[in-house]
Amino acid sequence: MDMVSMGLLAAMGALATVAGASEDIESDAGSQSNPNSQVQLAAQVGHPHRIYNKAISGEPPSNALYAAVAAVTASVLMSGFGMSAFFAIAIGAVVAAIFNGIYATTAYMGRNTSQARFNQYVYLDVLRTHTTTIMAHAYITVFCVVSISYIMTASWLPIQHPFPMPLVAFIWGLAIGAIGSSTGDIHYGAEREFQSYPFGAGLNAANSGDIVTKAEAGLRSSIDNAWFCAKFGGPITGMAFGLTVFLDNWRATIFDPATQGGLVVLTGIVIVILFNIYNRIMESRARKRYGPYPEYIGDIEA
Amino acid sequence: MSVAAGGGEAKLDKKKLMIYGIGGGIVGIYLAGILNMAMDTNYFSFLAGLGVIAVIVMGSEAVRMVCAYGIGTGVPSIGMMATGMGLVAAMFGLSIGGIAGPIIGLVVAVAFGYFIGAMANKIIKMNIPVMEESLTMLAAAGAITLIGLSVLVAGRIDYELIMGSVIDTGYIAVLFIAGSLAILHPFNANLGPDETQDRTLVHTISTGALAMIAGGIASIAIIGSAGILTILIAAVVWLWAFRWYFQLVKRDSAGVVGTGLLPKGEM
Repeated sequence: MDMVSMGLLAAMGALATVAGASEDIESDAGSQSNPNSQVQLAAQVGHPHRIYNKAISGEPPSNALYAAVAAVTASVLMSGFGMSAFFAIAIGAVVAAIFNGIYATTAYMGRNTSQARFNQYVYLDVLRTHTTTIMAHAYITVFCVVSISYIMTASWLPIQHPFPMPLVAFIWGLAIGAIGSSTGDIHYGAEREFQSYPFGAGLNAANSGDIVTKAEAGLRSSIDNAWFCAKFGGPITGMAFGLTVFLDNWRATIFDPATQGGLVVLTGIVIVILFNIYNRIMESRARKRYGPYPEYIGDIEA
Repeated sequence: MSVAAGGGEAKLDKKKLMIYGIGGGIVGIYLAGILNMAMDTNYFSFLAGLGVIAVIVMGSEAVRMVCAYGIGTGVPSIGMMATGMGLVAAMFGLSIGGIAGPIIGLVVAVAFGYFIGAMANKIIKMNIPVMEESLTMLAAAGAITLIGLSVLVAGRIDYELIMGSVIDTGYIAVLFIAGSLAILHPFNANLGPDETQDRTLVHTISTGALAMIAGGIASIAIIGSAGILTILIAAVVWLWAFRWYFQLVKRDSAGVVGTGLLPKGEM
C-alpha cells in the first residue's frame, strides 16, 4: 500500500462522512422517505402543519438522480471543455441542487394541495425558507459523492475503477440514499416526530399521524427538525456511510484485488461478522439499560 | 378507488393518452433520427426529447391507475420497474432492429409488461384489475423513454453509436434515473385524496422536460451545440408546464398563502 493510495482512502472516507451527514439532514429538513408517511398522515388525522413534505421518492432513487446529474455534468465539462475536475464537480453539484430544488418544490405543493379537504395550506414562506436549506445540503452531499466517484475513476489516480464516473456516482448515490434512509431516519421519525410519547415506546398504529406540530415557541418548522437531527442522526449517518466507503476500499487497498482476491473477500466477511457481534452487544446493552418498558401509567405530559 | 392514495376521476381518457403517448414518442424519435440523418446534422435531436415527454405523460397515467389501488409507498418501485423493464426491451430492440429498433423495442416491452402484469395477478395473486394493462403501458413508456433519450444524446437511431455514446460513457445512468423519476414523481408528489388527473399530468410535462434537460446536458459531450438547443427548448417547456402546474395548485388547494398560522379551529 503506497502513500498515495492511503491518502486517497482517507480522503474518500472523510468525503463520505460529510456526505452522509448532509444527506441525512437534507432528507430530514424535507421529511423525505420513511418519516414522510407520518407528515402525510398528520393533516388527515386533524393536525394540519407547517412541516415540509418532500415526497420525491425513496432516498436511494432521488440521491442517485442528483449524483448522476452532477457526475454527467462534470464529465461533460471535463471531457468536452477540458475544465479542471474541482470546478467541473462544483458546477455539476449546482445543477444537481437545482434539480433537487425543483423536485422538492413540486412535491411540497402537490402533496399539500392533495390534502385540501383537511385544510392543509400551501405556505409559500415555508417553500422559500426551506427549499434553499434543502438545496444547500444536497449540494454538499452531491459534491462529496461525485468527488469520491472521480477519485475512484480518474485515469491519473491509482484506483481506476473499470466503470465510467457517472455510473459509479449513480451507484454511490443509491448507496448513500439507502444508508441515509436506514440509519438517520429513525432519529427523526421515531424521536422527533413522536417526542410527545415516552422514549422508546414504539409507534402504536392508533397514534399514526399524531406528530408534534408545535415548537418550543410557535409552530414547528422543518428547520427545527434539521437542527435536532444535526445533533445525532446526521453525524451517525455520516459515520455509517464513511465507514462503508472507508472499510470497503481499505480491504481493496491493503490487498491487491487482482492477485489476492480471496483475501479481499475474506477481510470483507470478517468485517461483517465483527460488526454483527458489536451490534448485538450494543442492542442487548441498550435493552438492559432502557427496557423493558413499565406498564401503561397514563399519558405523560408533553 | 382508494381515497388514501388518490386517483380522482379521470377527465382524459387513457386510450387517448396511449395514442398520444406512444404515437408522439415514436414519431418524435423517428423525426429526430431521420431528419438528423437526412440533413446530416444533430439539431433535430430535441424532437426525440419532445416525444419522450409525450410518452412519459402516458407512463405517469399508468402509475396513477395502478397506484390508486392503495400502494402508496410502492409508487417509486413501480416507476423504477417501468424503466427496468423498458431498458431490457429498448436495448434488445435497438440491437437487432437497426432503424426499426424503436418499434421492435416497443413490441418486446409491451409483451414483457403484459407478462409481468399477468404473473403479478395470476401467480402472486395481487388481483389488481388494471395490473396487466398498467404494466403494459409502463413497460412501453419505459422503453420509448430510454430509446428516445438515447437518440437525443447520440443523435441517430444507431445501436453501435448509442452503445458508444450512451452506455460506454455511463450516461445511461442519468437517462435511466431521470426517466424513472419523470414517470414516478408526478403521482408520488400529488398523492392524496384530492389528487386530480390534470394537475398530475401537467406536473408530468414538467418532469419530462427535466429528463430532457438531463439528456441534453449529456448530449453536449456527444453532439455539441445541438445539445444546448435541446436544453433551451426543454427549459422553455419546463417553465411553461411549471407555471401551469402552479395555477392548478392554486385552483385545487385549500389555500396558497404567503405565510400564516394553522387554519382556525385546528389543534
